[in-house]
Order: sequence, then C-alpha cells, then structure tokens
Amino acid sequence: MEKKRVFIIGLILLISLLVACSNGAKKSGSDGGGTSSTNKEDRTLEIALGTDMVTFDVHDHVNTSTESIHVNMFNYLFKRDNDTGEIEPELVDTYELIDDTTWEMTLKDGVTFHNGDELTSEDVKFSLERVAHDSNLLDHINYNQIKEVEIIDDLSFRIITHNPEPALLNRISRIGSAILPARYIEENGMEHFLKEPIGTGPFKFVNWIRDDRIEFEVYEDYFKGKNEEWDKVVFRIIPENSTRVSELLTGGVDLAVNMPPSDWDRINSTEGVSLAQETSNRTLMIFLRSTEGYPTADKKVRQAIDYAIDNQAIIDNILHGSGVPTITRVAPGNFGFHEDLYDTYNYDPEKSKELLKEAGYPDGFEMTFHSPRGRYLQDAEIAEMVTGMLSEVGIKVNLEFLEWSNFVEMRNAGENEDAFLLGLGNSMFDAANALDWYNYERFEGQIDYLNEEVEELLEAAEQNMNVEEREEQYKEAQELLADDTAHIVLHQESINIGVSDRIQYEPTMDEMIYVETITRK
Amino acid sequence: MFNYLLKIIAQIIPVLIIISFIVFALVFIAGDPVALMLPEDASTEDIALLRESLGLDQPFIVQYGNYLLQLVQGDFGESFRYGEDAFKLVMERLPASLELGIAAIIVAIIISVPLGIWSATKRNTSIDLLATGGAVIGKAMPNFWLGIMLILIFSVHLGLFPVTGRGTIAHLILPAVTLGTGIAAEMTRLIRSNMIEVLSQDYIKTARSKGLHSFKVVYKHAFRNSLIPVITITALQTSTLIGGTLITETVFSWPGLGQLLIQAVHTRDMAIVQAAVITIAVIVILMNLIADILYRILDPRIKYN
Amino acid sequence: MNEEQMKNSAVIEESMNKTVGRKVSKVKRWFNLLLQSKTGTVGLVIVIFIVFVAIFAPILAPYDPNVVNPTEVHKPPAWMEGGSNKHILGTDNVGRDILSRVIYGSQISLLVGITSVILAGIIGIVIGLLAGFYGGIFDHLLMRLVDSFLAVPNILFALVIISVFGSGVTTLIVVLGITNWVVYARMVRGESLSLKERDFVRAAKSMGVKNRNIIIRHLFPNVISSFIVISTLSVATTIILEASLSFLGLGIQPPQVSWGTILSDGRDYIATSWWLATFPGIAITITVLGIIFLGDWLRDILDPRLNK
Repeated sequence: MEKKRVFIIGLILLISLLVACSNGAKKSGSDGGGTSSTNKEDRTLEIALGTDMVTFDVHDHVNTSTESIHVNMFNYLFKRDNDTGEIEPELVDTYELIDDTTWEMTLKDGVTFHNGDELTSEDVKFSLERVAHDSNLLDHINYNQIKEVEIIDDLSFRIITHNPEPALLNRISRIGSAILPARYIEENGMEHFLKEPIGTGPFKFVNWIRDDRIEFEVYEDYFKGKNEEWDKVVFRIIPENSTRVSELLTGGVDLAVNMPPSDWDRINSTEGVSLAQETSNRTLMIFLRSTEGYPTADKKVRQAIDYAIDNQAIIDNILHGSGVPTITRVAPGNFGFHEDLYDTYNYDPEKSKELLKEAGYPDGFEMTFHSPRGRYLQDAEIAEMVTGMLSEVGIKVNLEFLEWSNFVEMRNAGENEDAFLLGLGNSMFDAANALDWYNYERFEGQIDYLNEEVEELLEAAEQNMNVEEREEQYKEAQELLADDTAHIVLHQESINIGVSDRIQYEPTMDEMIYVETITRK
Repeated sequence: MFNYLLKIIAQIIPVLIIISFIVFALVFIAGDPVALMLPEDASTEDIALLRESLGLDQPFIVQYGNYLLQLVQGDFGESFRYGEDAFKLVMERLPASLELGIAAIIVAIIISVPLGIWSATKRNTSIDLLATGGAVIGKAMPNFWLGIMLILIFSVHLGLFPVTGRGTIAHLILPAVTLGTGIAAEMTRLIRSNMIEVLSQDYIKTARSKGLHSFKVVYKHAFRNSLIPVITITALQTSTLIGGTLITETVFSWPGLGQLLIQAVHTRDMAIVQAAVITIAVIVILMNLIADILYRILDPRIKYN
Repeated sequence: MNEEQMKNSAVIEESMNKTVGRKVSKVKRWFNLLLQSKTGTVGLVIVIFIVFVAIFAPILAPYDPNVVNPTEVHKPPAWMEGGSNKHILGTDNVGRDILSRVIYGSQISLLVGITSVILAGIIGIVIGLLAGFYGGIFDHLLMRLVDSFLAVPNILFALVIISVFGSGVTTLIVVLGITNWVVYARMVRGESLSLKERDFVRAAKSMGVKNRNIIIRHLFPNVISSFIVISTLSVATTIILEASLSFLGLGIQPPQVSWGTILSDGRDYIATSWWLATFPGIAITITVLGIIFLGDWLRDILDPRLNK
C-alpha cells in the first residue's frame, strides 16, 4: 500500500513538472527568434548585437551601440553622408548662418511622429535645450555650447550658441541629436516616453525585453516614404561571441556585429553568409599618465614605449590584417585629419632601449597597465601582446584586466596607474571631439598631460569660424602631440559584421546600422 | 502541521534579513553607481549632486534602514539602469529561468535515475566505474564549455536545434541538456549510494533469497524506495541549478534572470541585484521546504516536532 | 578519586588506547580497501600525478607560460598539419605555449581549490564546534546564518563579492572560502551535538576537564574524518567554480594562469582552434574525476555509517 502511494506521488510530481514546463513554453511562444529562415520573402530583419541598448533617453547614453539602434526610429536635424563625408540636412529643409553664433533653419513640412503629431520647432527647442541645459545628462558636455533655440514659427527656428561654434552642424548630427516629441513627453512624462518611445524615424518601437531583444515595426507615414523592404526589425542581444557567430552561421540572424577575427575565414567559407568589413572611426589607444612621479611623465619614457610596440605585428597577427596603424586619433573623414600622421607608426626596439637609458632607466622599470576585456576588438589579446613587447625592452608590465564598469570607476576615481587601454570613437567627425582628450583640466588627476601650446591651439580652433585656419590649427596640434608622444596611438579599428546572403548591407564608418540601407536580395 | 509551518516562517524571516544585509553591505562597499551614471568627464559637483538626490550620501545604517523599510512594503527600489521597478523586472525574467530550470531537472532525472540504479546494482565493476565516471565527467565539464560544444555540434554542424531564442521545445533542449548534465552527475552519485543502501536492506535480501528475479527486485522494491530520496535530492539541487543558469543563460542568450542579474552585478544596479538575490533565496528556501514536507508525507516515520 | 571517577577515566583511557591501536592496522586496512576499489586506485593515481605536475611545473614546462609571440599564434598541436615539436599542444591566440600554460595552470587551480577549502574548513569547524558544543543563542544565530548562505548559490555570492573587490588569487581563495564554510559548520555542528552526548565526552566533563580541552582533544579529532570526506569533493567543485567565474569575466589576473582562465580565454576559438580550450578542459575533467573517485573511496573508509 505504502509503496504504491510513494510511486503515485512521484509520478504526479513528474507529470506536473512536465505540464508546468510546456505551459511555460506556450506562454512565451509568441516569437522565438532564431527561427527566421533564409526565406527571401521573410520581411523580418534580425540583427544580433553583443550588448543591450542602454536606454531610450537619447541624451543619456553616449553609447555607439545604443545609437546604432536609435537611428532607426529617430531622426537628426542633419545627418552625415557616409559616402561623401558631407553633413546633409535631414529633418531640416533650409538653413543659413546668420552670424557667428546664430543659425536659422526651417524644418521639412509634413514630418510626423509615430503617434501622428506633426514635427514642429517646439520639438527642436525641447530636444536641444534639454541636453544643452541639463548637466545631469551624459551628452550634456557635447551640447552645452548651445545657449538656446528661438522659435520663429511652426517650422522655423534659430539655434543660438554661447560662442562662435564652427562645428555646430557636426554636433547636431550625432548621438544625442535625435529630435524628441515635445508634446508627447510633456503630456505623458519622460518615464512614459522611455517605456513607449516615439520618434520620426522609419521604424516604430514595439517592444524591449531587457538583455534579450528590441523589436520595431515599419512606420507607414515615414516622411521619406514607408520602408518597402522590412515589416519588422528585431535587434537581439547575444553576448557570447561564439554563440553570435553560430547564430549567424545557422541562419538565425541576418546580421551579426563584432565578429571575432578568428572566425572570419570560417564565416567567409560558409555558404549563405559572408563578412562585411569597413574601417571604423574608433582608434585604440594606450593612455599614459603624466602625473609627476610616474615614469611616463617623462617624454623619453613615453617614446620608448611607443618604439617598443610593433603596431603592424599586432594588426597582422591579432587582427588578421584589418586595422590601420596611426599616431593620431583623428582619422580620415574627420575634420582636421593629418595625412602624415596616419598609416604609419614608430617601431624600433633598439631606439627604445636607448631612450630608456637616456631617461635614467637602463634596466627598465615596472609599470601597471589596465585593460578592459571584451569591450573592443581583441582588446585583451592586444594588451597581452603589448605587455610582451614591452618586456622585450626591459619594461616589466603588470597587466590587470578589469570588468568595464570597474574600469570606468577606476578612471573616474583617478586610481588608474601608469597606463590604460581605451578605444575611442568620434561621432562628431571633427578633431574638436578627438583632441578634447588633451585638455589638461578635463582629465586632471587621471591623465595630467599638460601641453600649453596644444591647449592654446585647441582653444583658438574651437571658436574659429575660418574653416581653413581652423583645420591648420588642429593639424599643428596633432603634430605637437605626436612629437611629444602624449599617448600611444595603436591603430584605427575595423568594423566586422557577419551578413547573410539574403540581404545586401554595407557597414558604415560611424558603426551605425541603418536598416534603411539594407535590402533583400 | 500548523506549528511546524509557524516555526519554519520564524526561521525564514531572519534568513531573509541576513541575506539582504549581506548583499546591501557588499553593494555599499562596492561604492555607489553614480560614477557609472555620469559621463566620463563629469565634474565632482555633478557627482555630489546626483549622489545627494539619490540619498546615497547618508550613512550606511540609515541607508540600510530605509531599504528594509521599503522591503517590508514590497518595494525593492528602482533599477538605475532601466528606471523601472526592480522587482517587476526580476519577475518578468523569472518564468524563462523557471522553464529552463524545470527542463534541466527533467533532463537530469532522465539521465541520473537509470544510471544511478544501474551502477548501484553493478557496484565496483567496470560498468560501475564507467557509469560513475561518465557522471563525473558531466560534473567536471564546465557548463559554458559544454554549451558551446553542443551548439557547435547540434546546431552548426547537424542543424538540429536553433542556437538561441525561446518559445518551442526545440529551443529548450540544448540549454536544458547543458544545465541538466551538471546536476545529473551529482544526482547519479546520490541515487547510487541510496540504492546501495536500499539494496542491502533485509527485505531485499529476503526477496532475492526467495529466488525472485533480480530485475524485478531492483525495479519493484528497491527503486520505489529510492524515489523518496530522488525527490529530496532534486529539491536540494535548486541552489546549484540556479547557479548554473547564470552560466547557461549567458551562453544561450536565454532571456531569464541570469542575464539580467549578471549585467546588474557588473553595472552595480543594486536594486536588481538585491531583488534577484532575495527572490532566488526565497525560491531555494521554498524548494527545500517542499522537499522537507514531501519527505515527511512520504516517510511517515518522521514526525513534526 | 571516587569509584565513579575512576570508571570514567578508564573509559577515556580505553578510547585513547583504541585510537593508538587503530593507527597501525589502519594503514594496512586502507591499503586493502584501496586495492578493493578500482575507482579509488584510479583516483589516487590521478591526484598524485596532478600534484606532482603542479609541484614540478617549472621543471616540466618547456616554456614560460606567459611569453607571447606574435609570429606563432594559433599553431596546432604537434601531430596536426602545421604543428611542430616546438609546441606539442600548440599555441594560443597570442602565441603562448599551451602545454606550459596547462602545466602551470595546475598550480593555481590546485592552490585555489585546496586552500579555499582549507579556509572554509577552518572557519566551519571552529564555528561548528563552538555552536554544537555550547548551543543556545549562538547556535541559533549560526544556524540562521548557515541557512542564509545556503539559500544563495555559491557562484552568485562569488560573483557579487568579486565584482566588488576585484579578482585576484587571494580574493578568489577568500571568497570561495567564505561562501563554502557553512557546509562544514553545519556538518560539524551536527556531529558535535551528538558527540557531546557520548560517554567519553560526558566522562571528561564530569572529571572537570576544561571545555576548551574537551573541544580540542575529544570533539575535533572525531569530526576531522567527515571533514576530509566532504572537502575532497569541495576541491573538485571549487576548481570548476573558478572556471565558471573566469567565464563571467571575474577570473584571476595575468601573469597568473589557471585552467579556468585558459579554458575561458579559449572558448571563442573552440570552432577554429579547438586546442586552446580542449586541453585545459581535459585537465580539469581528469583532475575532478580523480578527486571525486578518491573522495568516494575516502568516504567508504571514513564514514562509519557506510562501513557497517
């Protein structure tokens, strides 16, 4: 009797588990993802990203990967044409520089938000002044040059800056430049907007499941005309590299970003997928601390480090040849680009040893090098390779890997030691943004690099409305910086995206994913 | 029974307070997330201002007191990262994790029960060595390595299962096998030793000596009696199982609690870490409680005391 | 000395004589038991081998495990096309010798596994003995603390702690130590609860032996065997846990190298350069296998309940 009861209860338990399981599966059964076939008629585009979007607050993320999603549901006033490098009007119809601190612009007629509201000057005023005035927003520093937006009529307005602002159009065609629906936010509150955001872009928001997926559907009344290629766009978050690659290879997704170099051959040799590459506007650098007391405060030591690192060997062996060695952060396509400093590098271990001797370290010295892991293309491998190269000239490097948030925290607290690895993009495509890292005050207690000549040039260029003169100033600043080896610039990164054969896609230098440019074959 | 439950509840509450205290203290030591919430070049005033507005400038004990007060009202606080109620976010993710966990238990039972019994009946033979060895290999393989291997073999090469995603049984199989293999090993070992004990009991010996077929003896008498421990063993694996989901969910991008929690830990999203840890603790405690009660029901020799 | 006390001292003496007398026959008995158990023999051989490798790593390893070489990345093992005898198990993504890394990795993996278990054991045994022996409010508090730790998965605890304090060998050992101690505390408490009711402890008590001495002389030696049984298995779990933490980005820092970090670093290359992750994986599997076999055998010998 008793044994039977035990058996029955056990059985019931097992069955109830099974039922619970299948119920759970059913409940979530809406869209599994990963099942999209290579069917040419499938009008759902699936894109695999490595990290989740940060927020829908366009002013509060300064995150390239987040922006690459946002560009599909919001629009900027201006947008950089990735082919020509020119900044073209997007939501703006006509524009004119009234004086050094005033731009007058008119919006295109008939642009609507996803809820049907018309785009007006009010929206522009709300969006730009929000980020320009609220110092708690992450992108504030890139917009606080704007004093105010003056409304002329429904479609016309003036942007007034505190000082002459030669790079204004660059500033308002990047992260944080999306025009938000003023009335929608004022009526429902920002919190509601963050949960159910609307924009003017070609796709409208449907759903965001954290760390899993963000779903969009086509917006019928898009001002440039409804997108005819895709009904639905799904960004899926797949953090593990090997899983993301596998998902691409099995046709689970149409696009997969950040393909690791070791898998490139495999992707290209697999039928149905290929690798699309483009040079990124991101430069990998080793920042050196110039604070008194650190060996790296000495120019000779910084140069010795530079000469010890074989940039090309890193590119050839770790990055499978993709990447461009450089000694400046301003890449081609950016305002202020200096050709002589690009596609070149310093490497001479003998000279490095010589410099170390001159600096008073004939037997080398010991330094600490912090690096994030998994943030940039092969960052950990590069850091390990650099460590090995420096040990060849006698510099003993204590390499420490930090999880990204700890890395950021360490730097904010000024606890970084001799060196740290960082990859910096430049969504402004202007040297002003790139060279701001040599501003002493901005990184006081963290980097402490002071070069008065450079600072003067940068200050002058920042407000210089004479384009040619401004360009020269930036070039000169870069020459001075390269000469002083302020930091070690390793190389310009590459963008590596796995693409399914069923679609046509070209990556762009700004690392955005414009679904508008993606077509079915 | 009522007294028993009352006693259990009196034990659970201090446990939850201790857990909340430990996690709160750890997060406090970690430093607040303000630095991460502001731009890389924020000024010290900006940081101080935000810190104050979030109540993070208060002394530890005040912050913890406030936190406990909110907890009592069911308020786990708001996620810094998402600006939403932390508990709600955790609850949103829980079903996916439960689904994976239950599937993994089923996989583990399917593997471990036959293997455990088999190796027990062939104790100390080569078959036993092979079976326990196999189980141990399952335990010794780190989850993430097994998961990646399964994807490569069954998804990429054989094309049998989708790589990631959730919704159908096909999506569930690879993650469940990955997660289930690890706990199957532990369960096999426990079932084996239980069976050995049962098999050495007098009534089994009697049955055998009466000439009953050994298959019948094993499966009719011994197996039924070892079912009780299987249930408790399964329940006791809850903690290990949840630990395993952290890894498995990352490998398969499974939209459960694991992903949310790991990201929260990395970004110091204290509210989510707290809500998730406490939720997990409650689940583990509940499962152990259920196991305890079941055990008492199934084995009347144990009395409530 | 009255009659009763004399009787008591006789009991103590007897129990002490037993322990001494046991020692001689024990070795022989163990050896016999070892030969009886195939798994036990295999386990012991494996564990001895791994410990040997760890101790003599600097002699056995052909290269410095951290020397990178840009021109020798992703070289396959010697027996494969493109491999060479210079690197028998091939090289990794920055040109380091895998064999050397796996050999050196045994040091950290074993160090972390063993020391963290010892640390956990020390904390657990001390607290468990005290709680079990004295009981009362201290015992009550302890049990709630134990329940709290048991309700949170180890790896989650470790994840939170390491993300706060950063990762390093010492942190790792301490973290794994303090997440595991409760297991021992609970076990030791249970044992000492029953031990203190036993005759020889009662006898000692009634003779006025100090509590401290009772704990050290009588309770401690009796809980140590249970500790050894559980702790061998813990060493195995800890080695795997270390690998899992590496996977989550919280492993140990270079230049130190463990099997966990090699395996975790190699996971992106499983499809293209399988040898990066496979060899540390095999090392972990074999070691864990050996330890568990050895642990099972030790349990058979030391656990009196199964010894009947």
